[in-house]
Amino acid sequence: MADISLNLFGRKLKNPVMNASGTLGYGREIEPLWRVSEMGVYVSKGLSLKPHHGNPTPRVWEVSSGMLNSIGLQNIGIDRFLEEYLPYFSETKTPVIINFFGFTVEEYVGCAERIKDDENIFALEMNLSCPNIKEGGIGFGKDPNMVFNLIKAVKSVTTKPIFAKLSPEVKNIVEIAKSAYEAGSDGLTLINTMPGVAVDIRKGVIPIKGGLSGPAIKPVALKAVYECRKAVPIPILGTGGIMSLEDALSFFMAGAWAIQVGTATFVDPYTIPRIIDGLKGYLEHHGFSSVSEITGITE
Amino acid sequence: MEDAIGTVIEKREVVKGFFLLKFHLITPFSEVIPGQFVMVKVPSKEVFLRRPFSIYEYENGILGILFKVVGKGTKLLSAVEEGEVLSILGPLGRGFSLDSKGRPVIVAGGIGIAGVHLLAKKLGEGVSLFFGCANIAEKALVSDMVHLRPSISTLDGSFGFSGNVVEMLKNYIEEQTSYDLKIYACGPEGMIRAIKDLLIHDRTPCEVLIEERMACGMGLCYGCVKKTYDVREPFKRVCKEGPVFDLWQISL
Repeated sequence: MADISLNLFGRKLKNPVMNASGTLGYGREIEPLWRVSEMGVYVSKGLSLKPHHGNPTPRVWEVSSGMLNSIGLQNIGIDRFLEEYLPYFSETKTPVIINFFGFTVEEYVGCAERIKDDENIFALEMNLSCPNIKEGGIGFGKDPNMVFNLIKAVKSVTTKPIFAKLSPEVKNIVEIAKSAYEAGSDGLTLINTMPGVAVDIRKGVIPIKGGLSGPAIKPVALKAVYECRKAVPIPILGTGGIMSLEDALSFFMAGAWAIQVGTATFVDPYTIPRIIDGLKGYLEHHGFSSVSEITGITE
Repeated sequence: MEDAIGTVIEKREVVKGFFLLKFHLITPFSEVIPGQFVMVKVPSKEVFLRRPFSIYEYENGILGILFKVVGKGTKLLSAVEEGEVLSILGPLGRGFSLDSKGRPVIVAGGIGIAGVHLLAKKLGEGVSLFFGCANIAEKALVSDMVHLRPSISTLDGSFGFSGNVVEMLKNYIEEQTSYDLKIYACGPEGMIRAIKDLLIHDRTPCEVLIEERMACGMGLCYGCVKKTYDVREPFKRVCKEGPVFDLWQISL
């Protein structure tokens, strides 16, 4: 009998399937169709010390095999999330990863400090794709030293495990992964969206500058998972263009311990429960007893 | 909310470039409120995301959408054949409020009629319907509502009132002796702005159905938003808190 549960940081997750941050709202929006507690973990929308209103429209733009988004990190702020939304996940026994961001080291640290030691919070996920406004606006995640210092600072104020979510728009993602590991990051989430633009040829303008997601970025994400798993000995959450069980299996085999499904939910809102069911069937059919038996089997 | 399987049972080009598609839903919707919408998976590999369409009509598991061909998605959708099977997520969003006081007046511009058609049917005889379109051919879009005696305006003057629908509405409002009106509107942004200018003096109660690019259609992604006067959270999701908004709460 195949067991799709995953032991991670001393905790047993019922399966290795999560949503990608920001693609399942505050969690309950999907519940007319299926329960958030069906996932191993719910990953929160990106949260910050202070609320953010987000960007004007257009915020989404379809492209070949994917989409661009420029939501602008709209969120209600960490305090309101902890007060108004977290209790629901506790009631339904759904472990939560809190995704958070900042535009200064102090904002990241301040946000991490607010996150109380609620046992239902499984881990924190740091979005490193934000610009550091005190360092000329360069993205935190682009510079190995900034990554190191930021993670060190956050680690010093929390006892929760940390996943550093890396941007693919870097010279060498392995180098960034090593910095994150050396600073004490407990795991990695690979990858965030890939920056891109669209051109409206009727008007001759760029209507959106945003993050590319969907099947278009899957090979880029798989490469990051594959290379980083060889370079650092910490768990990897693989994400980027997973639309099906087959895509999920590719990520496990490339080295992901667990996977996150994002954009696919917009196309087919049942993608996550389908992958969970399919994974169990696949392991049984192929005689594997757990997901760890296929994790990182690629040479 | 259901992710329903819909079989195309009828396709009709009502006017050139405007299509009515009717689906038989295997798992019927429980209740549909006028103004709600569906997300339709266009059966083509060239289209990635679903597309939002107002529920034009709904009865006993038969869903109708009316749309204008404006881009790749609607072009491909207009090419589906009877018997084809599509995924249809719905009903979605917050519809019109039907319990309000005031004499109902519906204002629709062009394909905006798709958003208020079900409302007009539900309100029935007591409603005043103002429909603005480009030319005489497009008046076919309200041909099934003749019993409501719609006032029609055409931009080219080929039928009815010559000019836009808000100018026609202005004449009507000026003739009224009492102002207990309730306006329901759906149309291009320019029309909504003009309605706001027209009604601003009395702040006549008005609900508008807003259109926006969407990804998920169910509140997950925060991709479709409308700016409101809410200071705490100005950007509201068109798919969740909308697509129907109080005109006096949105920033145009």
